[in-house]
Amino acid sequence: MGKVKPKRKSTLIDMTAMSDVTVLLLTFFMLTSTFLQKEPVTVITPSSVSEIKVPTANVAQVLVAPQGKVFLSLLGDADPDRAEEWGSEALRKEALKTAAANYEAYTGKKTGLTPLDLEKFAKNASFGVPLSKMHEFLMLDQTKQDEWLGDIERKDTGIPFDEIRYTDQNGNQLTTNEFQIWMRAIYNSSNSNIHDAIQKGEGIAVKSDRGTKFETIHKVLDNLQTIKMNKFSVMTALKTEAD
Amino acid sequence: MAQIEQSDGGKKKKGAQKKMAIHVDFTPMVDMNMLLITFFMLCTTMIKSQTLSIALPTNEKLEQTELQKAKESEAITMILDTVYDDNGGVKGNTVYYYFGKPVTEFNGDQLVSSNIEVTHFEGNEGITPRGIRKILNERNKDVLKQVEEQKQLWRDKKITEEQFQEAAKKIRNNDQLTRPVVIIKPMPEASWESVISALDEMQINQISRYQLGNMTDVDKAMVFNTDEFKKSHKE
Repeated sequence: MGKVKPKRKSTLIDMTAMSDVTVLLLTFFMLTSTFLQKEPVTVITPSSVSEIKVPTANVAQVLVAPQGKVFLSLLGDADPDRAEEWGSEALRKEALKTAAANYEAYTGKKTGLTPLDLEKFAKNASFGVPLSKMHEFLMLDQTKQDEWLGDIERKDTGIPFDEIRYTDQNGNQLTTNEFQIWMRAIYNSSNSNIHDAIQKGEGIAVKSDRGTKFETIHKVLDNLQTIKMNKFSVMTALKTEAD
Repeated sequence: MAQIEQSDGGKKKKGAQKKMAIHVDFTPMVDMNMLLITFFMLCTTMIKSQTLSIALPTNEKLEQTELQKAKESEAITMILDTVYDDNGGVKGNTVYYYFGKPVTEFNGDQLVSSNIEVTHFEGNEGITPRGIRKILNERNKDVLKQVEEQKQLWRDKKITEEQFQEAAKKIRNNDQLTRPVVIIKPMPEASWESVISALDEMQINQISRYQLGNMTDVDKAMVFNTDEFKKSHKE
């Protein structure tokens, strides 16, 4: 009796079909993806039935951390023909220039910003340090900057709301703060699209965590009201009416 | 597939070149693709955030705003409060509300109100609204009824979505209908979630006249002296 030899089967699996599928999936993800914005703090926005999409251009996003720190991120016009004058980088540069100039005029302090600082600033999506520390901040490398913004306990993280007193041309005593200076600088930039967007209420998006206390956010809302930007939008996640 | 089979007709011609089977191993390719897919899956936001627009009144001290002049019978004041758990997470959002002006009296040295009520954000149960939605729904039923009629027309494809939105807007702002005026007053401790939920209820219930207001001392005293507040903040 001869032994029955088991027929040896080849273990080669044809991967071509698998490869086809993965390439398809890859293409899908590449085409649909919009990259996550790097943010100093991660927040979970509350859900709402509103279906208005977040604008991807001409928007100033105000991120309110639960601890009360405020960060801004700026997006300019998406039109590639106008990127030179109205794009995100140009907008950020201009906003910093105006804000720094106003800050110096109001407080009499020097910010010490150099043209190189402006270039560096234009590359950053979100920011949130006092203007007096901006130069110091921009001299650091990327990792150090992220550490700075990420350290929420640090005193010089976030845009300060400390009162700045100044006298205008007519001799009136007025008060403002750095947040207001920033928002005004953005509003008065030469990009008229963001100006219009803010007037319509689409240009400012307030983003905050669902557990953040109202008094924290009220500070931001109150300041927006003071500078007459009382129309704005808040970032929410989608839910259905049944939820 | 990626292999060339030898034609095996059995009638091999002499001198015919021996064909090699070509196998291309796709495994590394698949590996790489999978890695890339993983990368893209982790780095993308598939769902884009939505926005909700808010218009606040100007900060200038205008005592007689349109809303304050509103008829007392139409006014609803919603006071929002949140209870947090030990980790600072939201445990529950409470809505205190009253119609018209607060009715208050002194009970000993405590200011208590007889018309303050307590409810929650409860959403729908099936199609029946519950909690605060039910209250707002009842108060705005004229508007909701007409909007629903228009919505039905839209569902039946008799009007376009733009026409529906246009009509709904007209109904929401129709002075002839009894429409409530809602004043939302979040307590300092109220969570952002509760504020958004309240604004959301305005959208769901087609209420066009609402505003975010600040708590007055009377409001505070009234809420602090409710049984619900004492109970929820004691734990």
